[in-house]
Amino acid sequence: MSTAYPIPSDISPATVKNTASLLRIVALSLISGAAIASRLFAVINFESIIHEFDPWFNYRATRVLAAKGFYEFWNWFDPTAWYPLGRVVGGTVYPGLMVTSGVIYNILHFLNLPVDIRNVCVLLAPGFSALTAWATYMFTKEMKDESAGLLAAAFIGIVPGYISRSVAGSYDNEAIAIFLLMFTFYCWIKALKQGSALFGTIAAVFYFYMVAAWGGYVFITNMIPLHALVLVLMGRFSDRLYVAYSSWYAIGTLASMQVPFVGFQPVSTSEHMGALGVFGLLQIVAFAQLVRTHVSSQQFQKLLFGSVVAIGVLGFFSFIFLTYKGKIAPWTGRFYSLWDTGYAKKYIPIIASVSEHQPTAWPSFFMDLQFLIFLFPAGVVLCFRELRDEHLFVIIYAVMASYFAGVMVRLMLTLTPVVCVASAVALSTLLDTYIDPTEPVADDDTRSEADSTVTSNGSSAPSKKAKKAAAAAVSAPSKGPLSDLVAAATGSAHAGTGNITTGIFGLDSRGVVVLNVVFMLMFFVFHCTWVTSNAYSSPSVVLASTNPDGSQHIIDDFREAYYWLRQNTPQDAVVMSWWDYGYQIAGMADRPTLVDNNTWNNTHIATVGKAMSSSEEVAYPILRKHDVDYVLVIFGGLIGYSGDDINKFLWMVRIAQGVWPEEIQEPNYFTSQGEYRIDDRASQTMKDSLMYKMSYYRFNELFGGNPGTDRVRQQQVPKEGPTLDYLDEAFTSENWIVSLFPSLSYLAPHHFFRSTSDASNCICSRNSDSDFVSMSLLVLPRW
Amino acid sequence: MKFLLFASLCSLLALPSSFAATPQEQLALLAAAGNGVIKLNTETYDLLTSPKRTWSASIQLTALDPRRRCGPCKEFNPAWHAVARAWHNVPAATKNEHFFAMLDFDEGPTVFQKLGIASAPIVFNYPAADGPRKPKNGNLSPVKYDFSEGFDATPLASFLSKYTPIDIPYKDPIDWMRWITISIAALGAALLLRFISPIVQNKWSWAVVTVITSLVMTSGYMFTRIRNVPFNGGNGNWIAAGYQNQFGQEVQVVSFIYGLLSFAFLMLILVVPLQSSPQRQRLQVYLWTGVIMIIYSVLISLFRVKNRGYPFKLFL
Amino acid sequence: MAPKSTPASSETAFNAFNTLWKAYRDGTSDRLKFIDSFLFFLMLSGIVQFAYCILVSNFPYNAFLAGFSSTVGQFVLAASLRSQVNPDNKDEFKDVSPERAFADFALGSIVLHFFVYNFLG
Repeated sequence: MSTAYPIPSDISPATVKNTASLLRIVALSLISGAAIASRLFAVINFESIIHEFDPWFNYRATRVLAAKGFYEFWNWFDPTAWYPLGRVVGGTVYPGLMVTSGVIYNILHFLNLPVDIRNVCVLLAPGFSALTAWATYMFTKEMKDESAGLLAAAFIGIVPGYISRSVAGSYDNEAIAIFLLMFTFYCWIKALKQGSALFGTIAAVFYFYMVAAWGGYVFITNMIPLHALVLVLMGRFSDRLYVAYSSWYAIGTLASMQVPFVGFQPVSTSEHMGALGVFGLLQIVAFAQLVRTHVSSQQFQKLLFGSVVAIGVLGFFSFIFLTYKGKIAPWTGRFYSLWDTGYAKKYIPIIASVSEHQPTAWPSFFMDLQFLIFLFPAGVVLCFRELRDEHLFVIIYAVMASYFAGVMVRLMLTLTPVVCVASAVALSTLLDTYIDPTEPVADDDTRSEADSTVTSNGSSAPSKKAKKAAAAAVSAPSKGPLSDLVAAATGSAHAGTGNITTGIFGLDSRGVVVLNVVFMLMFFVFHCTWVTSNAYSSPSVVLASTNPDGSQHIIDDFREAYYWLRQNTPQDAVVMSWWDYGYQIAGMADRPTLVDNNTWNNTHIATVGKAMSSSEEVAYPILRKHDVDYVLVIFGGLIGYSGDDINKFLWMVRIAQGVWPEEIQEPNYFTSQGEYRIDDRASQTMKDSLMYKMSYYRFNELFGGNPGTDRVRQQQVPKEGPTLDYLDEAFTSENWIVSLFPSLSYLAPHHFFRSTSDASNCICSRNSDSDFVSMSLLVLPRW
Repeated sequence: MKFLLFASLCSLLALPSSFAATPQEQLALLAAAGNGVIKLNTETYDLLTSPKRTWSASIQLTALDPRRRCGPCKEFNPAWHAVARAWHNVPAATKNEHFFAMLDFDEGPTVFQKLGIASAPIVFNYPAADGPRKPKNGNLSPVKYDFSEGFDATPLASFLSKYTPIDIPYKDPIDWMRWITISIAALGAALLLRFISPIVQNKWSWAVVTVITSLVMTSGYMFTRIRNVPFNGGNGNWIAAGYQNQFGQEVQVVSFIYGLLSFAFLMLILVVPLQSSPQRQRLQVYLWTGVIMIIYSVLISLFRVKNRGYPFKLFL
Repeated sequence: MAPKSTPASSETAFNAFNTLWKAYRDGTSDRLKFIDSFLFFLMLSGIVQFAYCILVSNFPYNAFLAGFSSTVGQFVLAASLRSQVNPDNKDEFKDVSPERAFADFALGSIVLHFFVYNFLG
């Protein structure tokens, strides 16, 4: 057998095997290192700080856990949140994240490593990303082989779609959830392949961990049953499937009910009913199979089939009946909004208002996945070629996740693993084909014909004829690419002649393709590094802008204001702000807040929205009623921070309108042309609103009395700035981003943030929606 | 005939003292003439929205003349008439407490100017300014309908019901055509299934469906659906400005690019190794590698248009 | 099955069950029969618990769920064990020897009952 390039022949297979596994270990540890290191931009560029909004709550809860122990944390009632309601934290969180870092903290202290709990929290996500890389390796190994596994691990280690949720300091549930997701799936595949109850049990235990860690566990709850159902429908039911699914479901469901926040949901809500239904179906099918092995009478088979169908139909109708009677809760809002995309906007503006819940435009896909996004369909096709049971899983996962990621930006996170796996399968198949040194044997016919083409270009006419003849003889290979594709796909190929006829000829063909792949991989690395360092590493508590000379300028208004609150106000001073900032105020300023990011009480949020969008006279009694001492406003007009409260204002109006449609009406906040303006032409309701007044209070003084320009909205503020009768300005941060207004005794901070114009696109997309302009519906008639 | 009646009524209005009919009765007559909708002009508009009104009114401001080229106006008009007709069926006593009216731009441009309106359609709901139905909070300014839920009649009816004395008895007409189409389609599909079952059972037809679905979804199709973005921006401009925005046409272009790149990779993986002639194989290797490089460059440059700060580029 | 069977077909159904029972009695090893009797017991226990929940009271709900899940869980684990040690299924379970199957069964049961105990409240 000839080879394209010399390969040493005097190495024993054992040596090859050992070296390969050593290299794999080295590669995996390097991948882990890269995964962790690329997530440290946030720490290097800024500092070791908790990011964003939700992580601040998780951090606060973890501090309680670390300081007072698990039982205290479990029973923790937080009176400062949702003032005056308070919040039972233990029963309303997914505790997995906090418990994980609490355990790590205790282990480190047991080993006499006095690490600060904050550093444990900051570095948890990078640490778990290394584990995710490993889990993805194991998963992909089941799909193809180790080399595809390594590629997949490398991809998931540095792909921005996952980094966006797991940089150092992004201490959120997703930080550990993706590892759990991948590992549960791996165990499921393993259980299915072997028919092993052991792996089913492990999958159930990790499923439990996932339930304890992230609300996205519903994805697993539906993916695995869907896979099982498709297998049954395709006639691929086997006892292995029965063993794997039954052991996973029976243990996993019981385990998931241990988490207080989930409670009895697994047996009472529609999201979980699919899993239950498939469980029942499998029992019936398995029983029918068993009976069939004992009796082979035709009549009996018919009877059996009829009864299975009857039971299935009966089960379906009883499910509908129970839903109708209210015994089974229908789909929850967040889940429902995934299917009926207009639902959220109509009925639950609080969900629609979060930019993580906005649909995804294509640049986000490309930004987060780069060349994987177009390699991934190729990988899916390769899965179809083999179509073993586990390949079906990847295919279903690919379809579901790409739909979900299209509907909600934040679900990009669930798409990322399958994209990495599928593209790794595609790329490693490509490399396998083109690195394989075996030279195929060319057909004698075509070789001589090829020779003749080379020798005499002029006499190509007869050789073409020869080619045609050869084509007719061989029939498959030269009817054009499509028939080739079909032939390749159906796998019938040209095997069987004895000679190896498939493969690559010559070194240059190999070289071109391999070089191209290497180049694309390198480009991918550069892309990921750039995206990570520029877009996803900002803590959004501290902002950075670039000075004209290129140096970095740190804008720290948020913390400035929060520390002001902490230092200058009594411990029990209640601060009112839009819900986005609730966790940060609680975490950094340690003051009670009216509403925060745990948006469970729509009415309470609407109350704040109403206060912000009404005139001072209306708002003041509301503030008094809630004992508000300070109102906090975020304003970015001075430095061009687009994620400020004026841009979120329409959502406050909308949410308030949902509860008080008589008093707050969204159209009143637009000009008569339907525009959202803040300058002279702004509507009177807009100008009277508390939010407007607080934001632009004394704004003109900065410009020496001339009308100031709002740099976010690029509009001039009215010459006569707003006046405040009931509230007073207490504190405004350096760049005016945060303002605190006490009502008579309140403070209002002007928080002003600025970010570089490029990065702001990416940074601000993560929080409450800022630039949602829906009024373009109305088309202007031309006159 | 209708027109004559309308004209005579208008002339009657011009002579307010000649008949004893109260304005409310006049309006009721007008409404009856227009099948529930009063076709307004400048004078009747003033009458309908007079500061002494004891009735409430919903007014559609629109521009139906083809010259105005207002697509949404035409789209919305049937829904308006449907709701008005539903209101017309309530008992006469309550019926005349609330009026439906419409004002075309060409009938009363001065009203549009007075209201400072530059877009259409717009629905204003005027509460009663006097009498028992005057709002308790004293807010007499008209309420504008928010079209965020589309131009359908149902949300309009439920919105206006908040301002009418009793709920508007509007029910969606049962769309018989739709049900018939659906049942015929289902029947047809069931019949067809017998013939196409080889296709349904073939994994490659599923592969095509799967791949097309994921290509379309990852090109932002759901974004265009949810946000109702236009197909393109007009004037041959098909790339929406901004990183988090896109037009419908971009979905097609981007998914085509992705598909082409995927296809090139599949050719390299599946088809090229099957070639038994070294020359042809070499040609194909170079061809598909070239395709990948060039299309990839195009994709990158397209991305650079969307994200101005992106620092990398390939050959283009 | 019963509701839709006419007299004639109930006759055949009865016959069919007879043959089934016979085939089962003759064609199943004692080891599997032992597992099957355990399965039958679990099924009865589950039915009793469910009937109690429906007829008497489902309070405390978590205790009911724990008890019911323990029977269901134990049932499916035992059924898994049964199919893994069934000599007919040798080809299916290449990686699972009967000994390993029992170890899996034991481990699964321990994990299951750990959660059951925790959930009883």
